Parts: sequence; C-alpha cells; structure tokens
Amino acid sequence: MGIVLARIDNRLIHGQVLEAWIPFTHANCIVVANDELARPSLRRAMMEAAVPRSIKVVIGNVEEISRLFANPAFDKERVLLLFATSADALRAHRRGIGFKELNLGNMHEGQGKYQLSCTIHLDEEDVKNLSCLELEGVEIVSRCIPADRGQHWKKLIRNMPG
Amino acid sequence: MTLSVFFMGGLAGLLLGLDRTAAGQFMLARPVVAGPLTGWLVGDPLVGLQVGALVELLWLGRLPVGAAIPPDDTQVAVAGTVLAVAAGHYYALEGMLLILLSVLVAMPLGKIGQIFDRLARSRNSRLVRQAEADVTAGRTAALERRHLRGLIHFAAAALGTYVLIVVPGWLVVRFAGERLLPALDGMDGWLLLAFPLVGTATLLGTINVSRSLTLFAASFTTVLLLLWLL
Amino acid sequence: MKAGTARRKLPFRVLARMLGRSFFLQASWSFERMQSLGALYVLAPALRFLYRGQDLEEAFRRHLVYFNTHPYMAPPLLGAVTALEEEQAQGADCAISAVEFRDMVMAPLAAIGDALFWGGLRPLAAVIALFFAFKGSLLAPLVFLVLFNLPHLWFRCAGLWRGYSRGLRLVETLQRLRLPDWALRAKEATVVLLGGLCAYLTLVCLKQEEIAAGWGLLFFPLVVLLGWLARKGVSNLLLILATLAVLLLAGLIV
Repeated sequence: MGIVLARIDNRLIHGQVLEAWIPFTHANCIVVANDELARPSLRRAMMEAAVPRSIKVVIGNVEEISRLFANPAFDKERVLLLFATSADALRAHRRGIGFKELNLGNMHEGQGKYQLSCTIHLDEEDVKNLSCLELEGVEIVSRCIPADRGQHWKKLIRNMPG
Repeated sequence: MTLSVFFMGGLAGLLLGLDRTAAGQFMLARPVVAGPLTGWLVGDPLVGLQVGALVELLWLGRLPVGAAIPPDDTQVAVAGTVLAVAAGHYYALEGMLLILLSVLVAMPLGKIGQIFDRLARSRNSRLVRQAEADVTAGRTAALERRHLRGLIHFAAAALGTYVLIVVPGWLVVRFAGERLLPALDGMDGWLLLAFPLVGTATLLGTINVSRSLTLFAASFTTVLLLLWLL
Repeated sequence: MKAGTARRKLPFRVLARMLGRSFFLQASWSFERMQSLGALYVLAPALRFLYRGQDLEEAFRRHLVYFNTHPYMAPPLLGAVTALEEEQAQGADCAISAVEFRDMVMAPLAAIGDALFWGGLRPLAAVIALFFAFKGSLLAPLVFLVLFNLPHLWFRCAGLWRGYSRGLRLVETLQRLRLPDWALRAKEATVVLLGGLCAYLTLVCLKQEEIAAGWGLLFFPLVVLLGWLARKGVSNLLLILATLAVLLLAGLIV
C-alpha cells in the first residue's frame, strides 16, 4: 500500500495525527523523517510513548528514512509519513520517497513567517520549497484534520505579500 | 411560570458552560449530566434526562482534538431541556415528541451560537498580551486577576449561546409545534431511531480501532438475538 | 550540586494551591497562546516561593510563552516543571531547563490525554450511563460522573505529586503506564457496549411500532451507509435531518 498520507506538521506525532488522521487513513505505521529526533532524546521517548503498541513507529533522519522506503518490504505497510519542515519534505522527495500528495497540517510561527491560516505560517523559503515540490508533481493541500475542507496551497499564499 | 423556566435554564447554561472549558472540567457539561441537572432546576429532571441522553448519543464520537472546537452540546442539552419543559407547559402535553422537537430545534441554533465561544477565545488573546505587559513592567501581582477575567468571557459566551438557542427556538416550537405535533403523532418510535443511527455512524467513522465495525456488528447481533429470544 | 539530587522543599500548601489552581487552567484559553497564561497561573505559587524580586519577574517572563496540553495532563507536567525550576533555583546544573522540558513534553502528553480521556474514558463512561438513561433512571448522570471523575481526579492529584517528586523521570513513569494501550481498550469496550445499546433501542422502537424484530438487522447496513457519508464530510446535523426524513417516510409507508 505504501504511503497513505504525507504531512508537514512541526509538532510531528500529536493528537491530531493520532486521533484524527490515523483512523481516517487506517494507517498502521507512522514514519517520522526528522534529523533532530534521530538521536535518542526525551522528546523522542515521549512521542513514542504516545502511540499505542498496535501502530508501528519509525523515527530517523531524512537519509535513513529514504533508504528505508527503497526496501520493498515496506510497501505492505500503510504508512503515515511526517515531516517537520518543508525543507525536509523536499529533501525526502528528491531522495526518492515517492509521495504524490502533501498535506500541510501545522507550520508554526517564527521570524519572517506570514500567517496564512490558523495553523499555517510560511516564509519565502517555504514557498520556494513547496513550489519545487509542486513542479516535481506533488499536489499540496492544507488540511488540519480530516473534518476540515482541504484547500489548495496556492489559494493560501494569494494574500502573502511579496 | 414559563419565564422562570427560561431564567433558571440560563443559570444552568452559565454554570455548566463554565465547566465545559474554563473551570473544573468535571464533565458536568456533558449532555447526559447537563440535561438532567437543568431539568431538575426547572422542575422536570426526567425530560432533561431524555434530552441529555439523545444529545449525548448523537455526539458521542466528537472529540476536541487540537485547536478544533466541537459543537456546543452543553448548551444544546440545556436549552433543549428548557424548550421541552416550557413546551410541555404550553401544550399541556408530555412525551417523546416534544423532546425530539426541542432537540432538533436546538441543534442548528447551537451551531450558530458557537460564534460566541470563538469570540470569547479571541477576546482572551488580549488578556495574554496585557499579562505580558504587566510582567514586563514588574506588576507580577496583576497576573491572577488577568487570568481569571477569562472566566467572564466564557460565562458571557455560554449565556449568549443559550439565549441564541432559546429565544428563536421558543418561537419555532410555538409556531411549528401547532402543526407538526399532531401530524407526527405516533411516529416518535421511528424518529427516535435516528439518534443511535447517526451517533454510532460518526463514532465508528472516527475511532481508531481497527476492527470497530466487526466488533460493533458482533455485539449488536448478539444482543438483538438475545433480547428477541428472551 | 548534580541535577536530580536537589532536595524537594516546596511546602504542601503550595502544592495544594497549585492543584486547586489547575482546575482553572483554561480560564483564559485563547487561539494564539492557548493555555499560556493558565500554565503560569498554576505555576505562580511555586515560582513565588522559589524566587524573589528580579528573579521572580524573570521566571514569570520565561513561563509566559505558548503552552498547550491536555488539561488533566497539565498537573503532572507542571509538577515536573516545578521540580526542575526548584533545581535551577538551587543552582543545580540541569541537562535541560524547565521551559525546554515543558516544550518537549506538552504535545505528546496532549496526544496521550486526548486519546485516554476524550477518546477512551469519556465515551465509555457515557455509553454505560446511557444504558441507565434509556431505562429512565436518574442514576445515569451519577454513574457517568463517578466513572469519569475517579480516574480524572486521581490523575490530577497523584499526577501533580508524582510529577513534582520525580521531575525529569516523570517521562519514564508515563512510558511504563502504556496509557495509549489503555485508551485503545476503552475504545474497544465502548464499541461493544454501543452495539448492545443500539440493539436494545432498535428492539424498543420496533416493539412500539409492532414490527418483527428481525427487521432490526437492517440497522447495521444503515450505520455503514451513514458512516460512509460522515467520512465524506457530511455534518451530523445534516445526517440526522436526512435520517429523520427517511425514517418518517418509512413510518408512513409501513
């Protein structure tokens, strides 16, 4: 089955993913591609503790995860793939993880970021990354939880200055 | 008589509305509690129990996940109870039909009433900014006061939602009730079924249990057969 | 002094005040910062005990940042934060600061709490109470409140204490408890009980309309159909109105 949902969410594994997206997509495996979490840490331990044992969790840096997807044994799982940033998503896609759709969940505020919806804040860099992904054939839709109506990201950035 | 029912209902709506998010969260705000409590205040706990049970069943599966705000089932239960009790006085009737009518009128109005809750939560942003200014200026004692002022916003929102359901709701119950109630006489058994149907459907659709449909089917059939045979 | 070896000195009355205040955590919930001010409100008695003057202002400023977790998970989390603050105040060199710890742990704890309390315990207690309610017993609200609040209050009281006494090691305790698995079990129990409740309600309705009980089996395909519509994003309100209309028609024909 492969990837049932690829999502950018700076909070990675949290309530919206576990309570809303997992049942909606029937995923049985969560893969987190994040360089910071690749090493053991409190944050990683807590994230793993938040997932019931019936769902597999794989956490690694972007390279490790890309190699993992090359393994055909992985095609049998229903994978929910999480990135923290648009840059990670682009890197992963260029390294051969073939997701065709990308969901924008939470992208938090920060220096130079414009708020485009309740949960999505983008800067120039993000827009560049996402445009590259779109050129490579990925459809990018912002949707916080399944009950929300999805919105194409181009519609979001219309009111972005510059 | 009817006026005091509406007034006591408002009191219940305010207090139970606070339990919903702002204070306590003892789940007094859940319809299955809020309904009978309101009913007890306005003199008919059993009507409240029936309203509360229907509303609870309908929204069993709706969870407050992340920043998403679920429908205000508390005020729907409170106002639904008030409408049902008031309508019972007005039509000198009792029974399931009045309860169903009240719940169905309260539901869509409750959805509109949610704007008050959103309003309260945006107003609270201002409190956080004021608290920041306080701390910067070294006024650490002002913090508690600022924080608790949010309770006023939430209380006002609860009352606002209540009024928004009860006032138009009462007009609808009075005018639509004249025609609808006689026409629907004897149909309440059928109408009642809609609540477990829709409630179950949404719960099964949103729960992350892999075999939820199988589990449900197995237990449903077993109990149905058992009750039928016994 | 090494981190983790600092003595816990907070008097009981300060912890009791924090516990009391934890019931008002969300009084100023806002879209922007969520429970930010609320968390500081809960921590304030402890911070006031630990710091004075300039240090106190500094501590307040540190903690007045974005915060959001499950309200029942906040006491254990803020208890651990208090323990870390105490170590910091005593000059221990901590591997991780209280604010960093807060930021790391709040989102996973929110997920655990959402699953356990909102997804697991609340529907389970409600379904059990609904059996009483549809039997017309006024015990229903009482049953619900007791079933739900015993674990809830235990979590708040014991949680705050455990968080404070264990500090960073709260994470280990939580890992050991395997709360997400308990949540899953509660959900499974809810589904099974709901099946029984629906069967009961169906039979009552069929009896009232004098129809053979075998027709009750039709309930199941209807649930599947409605569930499919719900997944497509049709709201509950619309579903209930549509279902009512269909049932009315059925009632008129039969």
